Amino acid sequence: MADNRRDLTESLPVNSDRVVLVPKAFESSDPIAWCPGCGNFGIREAVKLALSELGLKPEQTCFVSGIGQAAKAPHYINCNLFNGLHGRTLPVATGVKLANPRLAVFAEGGDGDGYAEGGNHFLHALRRNIDMTYLVHDNQIYGLTKGQTSPTSEGGMKTRTTPCGAIEPAFRPLALAVMMDAGFVARGFCARPRQLADVVKLAVEHRGFSLVEILQNCVSFNHVNTAKWYSHRVYDLTEERHDPADRDKAYHKALEWGDRIPLGVIYKSGRKSYDELVGDMTGPRVSDRVPGLLDVLLAGLR
Amino acid sequence: MSEVNLVIAGRAGQGLQVISRTLGRMLVRTGHHVFISQDVMSRIRGGHSFARVRASTKPVAADGDKTQVLVALDPSLVARHVPDLAEDAVVVTEATDDLPEGLNAVRLPLADLAREHGEDPVMANAAAVGAVLALVGLEPDGLDEMFGSQFAHKGSDVVKRNVAAAEAGFRAISEDRVRCCPHQLLRTEDGRQKTGDAGRKPDRVLISGAEALALGAIAAGVRVVTGYPMSPATPIVEYCFRHARQAGLIVEQTEDEVSAANLAIGAAFAGARAMVCTAGGGFCLMNEALSLDGMTEVPLVWCVGMRPGPATGMATRTAQADVLFSIYAGHGEFPRAVLTPADASQSFRAARDAFRIAERYQTPAIILFDQFMADALWTVDRDELTMDGRRERREPEELKPYSYRRYEATASGVSPLLFPGTPEQLVYADSDEHTEEGHITESRAMRILMVNKRDSKLAGIRQDLEAAKVEDMAEGEAEVLAFCFGSARGVVAEAVTRLRGEGRKVAMVHLKHVWPFPADAVSGLVGDGRKVVTVEQNYSGQLAQLLLQECGLRAAGTVRRYDGRPFTVAEVEAGLRELMGATSG
Repeated sequence: MADNRRDLTESLPVNSDRVVLVPKAFESSDPIAWCPGCGNFGIREAVKLALSELGLKPEQTCFVSGIGQAAKAPHYINCNLFNGLHGRTLPVATGVKLANPRLAVFAEGGDGDGYAEGGNHFLHALRRNIDMTYLVHDNQIYGLTKGQTSPTSEGGMKTRTTPCGAIEPAFRPLALAVMMDAGFVARGFCARPRQLADVVKLAVEHRGFSLVEILQNCVSFNHVNTAKWYSHRVYDLTEERHDPADRDKAYHKALEWGDRIPLGVIYKSGRKSYDELVGDMTGPRVSDRVPGLLDVLLAGLR
Repeated sequence: MSEVNLVIAGRAGQGLQVISRTLGRMLVRTGHHVFISQDVMSRIRGGHSFARVRASTKPVAADGDKTQVLVALDPSLVARHVPDLAEDAVVVTEATDDLPEGLNAVRLPLADLAREHGEDPVMANAAAVGAVLALVGLEPDGLDEMFGSQFAHKGSDVVKRNVAAAEAGFRAISEDRVRCCPHQLLRTEDGRQKTGDAGRKPDRVLISGAEALALGAIAAGVRVVTGYPMSPATPIVEYCFRHARQAGLIVEQTEDEVSAANLAIGAAFAGARAMVCTAGGGFCLMNEALSLDGMTEVPLVWCVGMRPGPATGMATRTAQADVLFSIYAGHGEFPRAVLTPADASQSFRAARDAFRIAERYQTPAIILFDQFMADALWTVDRDELTMDGRRERREPEELKPYSYRRYEATASGVSPLLFPGTPEQLVYADSDEHTEEGHITESRAMRILMVNKRDSKLAGIRQDLEAAKVEDMAEGEAEVLAFCFGSARGVVAEAVTRLRGEGRKVAMVHLKHVWPFPADAVSGLVGDGRKVVTVEQNYSGQLAQLLLQECGLRAAGTVRRYDGRPFTVAEVEAGLRELMGATSG
């Protein structure tokens, strides 16, 4: 399997010498609107750690988010950000990356944003394999809108909109990603920021679509999948010497849930990224366009 | 004026587009002004489609009244066109036995010609081209190059066979030319080939409205184009796909319309000139994204095609019924421009205007067009087509590191604009109500500031766009003004010209943009005594509603058509005549 790691700083003109900034460089002054004890805090620490250890400057990053508590995260990190519509994160992130491939592009949001409203975009982003990192804060519930069921709520779970228990089984995004031969598929946990930071770094360095599902607790609305609930079940794949290149094994690991929930890199594809296949997307700048371009284009119309 | 009107009728799949385009180009090359409209069904094979080709020594922008030459690739379609035939029309078709009585019919064995010379039944369309050239008095010159440029991608063998079939079609008619066709309208009495413009051959192109929009966007510096296939917008995106490498474009067919709009917004946010293309129901799906565009103040051009609705409606037909929708689309209140170009030439310029407005005022700029305009082929002078991709954005002055505020409130409402990736600066954009920095806010004061800021851009846009012009009016002589927008211009202009020829005191006002509504200019034109009527292709008289709402002007009536087909000059003339009679103008 081809090694898809690459040095981001190669293509980033701003920071040609790798500068390792402290996580504080990614500190934002925007007051945080999360509940005390929210799993988002741990995720935020991990992301800041990863960015600083990758040697990125804030202006080299662009975070795109949707709507939800998770989608507020980019405001609480020092970075370029586009906080768009619920569910529409991936198309915007795709547009940003296509227009300026030199930016390290992140898409960030929750399970509702990503898998319900954004479901169709999720499916096609897996197909397209644009170079970006998608951080999904999965707390298996809707937080901002106060406790409705989510696509990843377990079957039988009682929520505000499933008072008799959810009828449908939970959506399995990682299994779908493996099935679609997605570039990079991994899972982390908000209460293990060091491991999560390592996974995020690998995701960023992978040239292609990197999906990082991040398990998190919701202190206000999910009283089933608490931090303790996850802690008792998660385990590190590296302890099992799991080979992320093995797609069949990866598919089964992606489906593994309940008593044992794997963390770490589940799958890494050998696929080329969309931008590699399309060729140099930056192309000729408008000002460089061939002077006789109009006549070339009019050739078949005269 | 010397002109000929042809109709080429056939079933979907018989190559009508090839015939009309090739014929059109030949006629333009011989110095004529050509206008071609397409009537197409929503299917791939079968049914009934036709193209109307009008060639003249003077500029034309509407279909002619009567058909002088009908070429029916399928004889069973002849009957449908009989009502439109001129008295001395010639009907050319495969078999003439079962045709309606009294027609001047010429048998053209298209299938035989295709098989024998083109070695493929589909070459019947090339044979038809040759035949028509003979009928109207043109020589089959330059067919190699013509078919070569059109079918280069199919290989030289296909090109050769097309030429052979066309030449055979030409010979089949020309031997009998004088007897079978009195409409050698493009020849002078002594047999020489007529040309428009007194023999001079100006550099003109034959281009569809959709192509003109795409070309205009490329000339204006577009970089990213997105869309999801939907008539009549699809040809715009496909044109961009075909020329992506040549023009340095990134073109994306997305999984759905919502993605197309949001992707374009992301690209524009990151600094690329971007355009999203859609129609009717697709624009409905994009409404939230339009609202996002207004809120985040990202410069973006929206190409929106109109066709009969609601819902799926009539996918391949025309209407002008989404004007009010375009002005009010997207929840919440935010400024936008809505341009309504009449033809290919205006579309090319509208693309440039749209990018200028979008970038200068950081606002959505919508180019609203219709199927008729997009699919018709128009003659445009090459001189009118120029490149101009200069950037319009307001850049910030001296900035300390990491101090940029994306939504800085200014008197004009336009904030200095930076893109992510700028060294030592960060850019925040937010669909929530936001502070000047771009962070989420619920503050009452900030909300009021931002609403006012966004709205104050409208004044700038209004001033920027050209005022409405009254066309062809001598000062003080018009008592009735016929208002129209978009593609209705050609038909209304010709109808008004005929009425003025009889001494009727009427003039046309064509609006190239409907938002911000040019209220001052319109009120000034109408003045104190003039009556106002509108001519539009919708049921409820949307332009009339706008005139009342924005200027307090009550239209004396509306000439309307809403059956999915374009206006004819004759019906607009009749409609205006009736309304003028009612207003005793």
